[in-house]
Amino acid sequence: MGQTVSADHLLETRGIAKSLDAFVVAASFDRDGDAVAFALGDGSLRLARVGAEDWTEVAAHDGGALALACDATPSGWLSGGDDGRFVRVAADGAVSEVARYGMKWVEHVASFSDGKARLTGCAVGRNVHLFDAAGSLIKTLAHPSTVTGFVFDPKGKRVAASHYGGASIWFVASKSDNPRKLDWKGSHIGIAMSPDGGNVVTAMQENALHGWRLADGQHMRMSGYPSKTSALSFTRNGKWLASSGAESIVLWPFFGGGPMGKAPTELAGGDNVLCTTLACHPTYEAVAAGFSDGLVVMADITTQRILPVAGPGRGPISAMAWSSDGVHLAFGTETGFAAVVDFSKR
Amino acid sequence: MADAAPTPDLVPVTVLTGYLGAGKTTLLNRILSENHGRKYAVVINEFGELGVDNDLVVDSDEEVFEMNNGCICCTVRGDLIRIVGGLMKRRDKFDGIIIETTGLANPAPVAQTFFVDDAVRAKTRLDAIVTVVDAKHLPQRLLDSHEAQDQIAFADVIVLNKTDLVTPDELDAVEAQIRKINKFAKIHRTTKSAVPIAELLDQGAFDLKRVLAHSPDFLTDDAHEHNDEIASMSFEVTTPIDPERFNAWIGALLAEKGQDLLRTKGILSYQGEDRRFAFQAVHMIADGDFIGPWKAGEPRTSRLVFIGRNLNRPQLRRGFESCQVA
Repeated sequence: MGQTVSADHLLETRGIAKSLDAFVVAASFDRDGDAVAFALGDGSLRLARVGAEDWTEVAAHDGGALALACDATPSGWLSGGDDGRFVRVAADGAVSEVARYGMKWVEHVASFSDGKARLTGCAVGRNVHLFDAAGSLIKTLAHPSTVTGFVFDPKGKRVAASHYGGASIWFVASKSDNPRKLDWKGSHIGIAMSPDGGNVVTAMQENALHGWRLADGQHMRMSGYPSKTSALSFTRNGKWLASSGAESIVLWPFFGGGPMGKAPTELAGGDNVLCTTLACHPTYEAVAAGFSDGLVVMADITTQRILPVAGPGRGPISAMAWSSDGVHLAFGTETGFAAVVDFSKR
Repeated sequence: MADAAPTPDLVPVTVLTGYLGAGKTTLLNRILSENHGRKYAVVINEFGELGVDNDLVVDSDEEVFEMNNGCICCTVRGDLIRIVGGLMKRRDKFDGIIIETTGLANPAPVAQTFFVDDAVRAKTRLDAIVTVVDAKHLPQRLLDSHEAQDQIAFADVIVLNKTDLVTPDELDAVEAQIRKINKFAKIHRTTKSAVPIAELLDQGAFDLKRVLAHSPDFLTDDAHEHNDEIASMSFEVTTPIDPERFNAWIGALLAEKGQDLLRTKGILSYQGEDRRFAFQAVHMIADGDFIGPWKAGEPRTSRLVFIGRNLNRPQLRRGFESCQVA
């Protein structure tokens, strides 16, 4: 300690990095954490086994890729594009089409698995389409306006989707297909659910977050952001909600009566640079965050220690993901830089 | 307000409005099929009429959202915010964006989207609002539709189409009717929407440089428009403007009369400033930026243009004149 190390030290000593020449839209590890995929603005995916120097290019979409998630199976991914295709990409790069929606964009994809039940879904315009493990359509959930994000709850029983005027919560197995409506005036542009399934939080067009405690319908208003929040991530234990959109990592306490009436904790701030994306660590109370100048840091929430992962200069960070075991962090930038950093003990 | 020159790498956005049957789709097909060496991403909402296969055509439902920003008439197009965000991820694939609105659409939410959303503003600039009108049916449309009036009021460029269906006298009368609403738009008389593409796209019209370069019939009459018809008025002063006074006056004016003021634009000579200040507003949403310097020897005349309903000329003139440095 005490000696100055470069902000790129971790990237240089523990990272594998590539220049991909296209906007990195999203990054996602597969479910068992063996490989990572980057979805790009040119419609391709790049697949990388952890530790591997050779990455595979997969032509997934004719146009641009818009969304990426791990598949419900242990390996492989789901992606959506502005070619209207919802596809599955296997670990070996084989692409199979799950569904096709013509001119409409497939803007969001997600999956659920608890080892037994497997669900996948995609959001296209006002609809969320749900599929079973075999890729057969289970049902289509229709909303009053375009779906701007959706998540499965931790048990795979419910789907929560954000849209204009609030959010809707659906029971996957319900026969009636009437959602529980969470109303709040305004345009909601993204959604997250707490790990216990008890809270839903949306990002709003007006540079604020809005939340609902599902048990009693209590509203939560979280404001003060200088720009829109594009990334929302709960810590594994559900104590903190990390959010982008400010000149720091903004963490709202979901304990001790919060976030109502509590000030958020702000980490890694002070440089007047916007936090553009982030991802909470899957086991520790820590969050990795990327900034508009290209800086990537890891922040320990308890000690408030900040560990630089990559220094500025490679473009605004646009994608970020942890492997399920929390050992590997992947990130990408608007200008096509992508990296996987190994956090294992050495 | 930002003190910076307009960024050249912002993607130009052209908004295409016009009543059903005016010739909008014909024009769009021409833009997409003509060999002009540029590629456009096109956002449409009536897919099927378009006869061109193009991977950059985006089908969208117009979703007009109210903003909770304290501005009572502030609506934006939520779908455009998402689509522009998506298109920016493959920015290298096109040179500009064209947005077609439905025939009945009010142009304000589209225009306001480009003022209100920071992410959209950071990547794009509204280049021009182009309105296609049908020379034969426009007089009737203007009588029965607020939207038809608004589409003309908002236009930077008007394609006066189907001129072969009217007599020369009727055509002049229609053009006079357009001019009554909007004195400042550039008008192209056409048949089959045949206007050179270069006259429509990449105009820089919305940022005023050309619109205010030639100032037609300033200060002609002192009529106070009490009716519901849209009119346009322009004012000019030669004494430099005090920015604080101007901001106070225009802020109060837009807050009070913003619903009636469809578009406000101006080029201002601020006291002690060698650059021209460009001001514009759509309803209550205002924006301003310094643009290039005044030319040597050019008279530093500040000009302000209003297009809207219930404009009170003497009051507006007195207000603008009171913004001059004492």
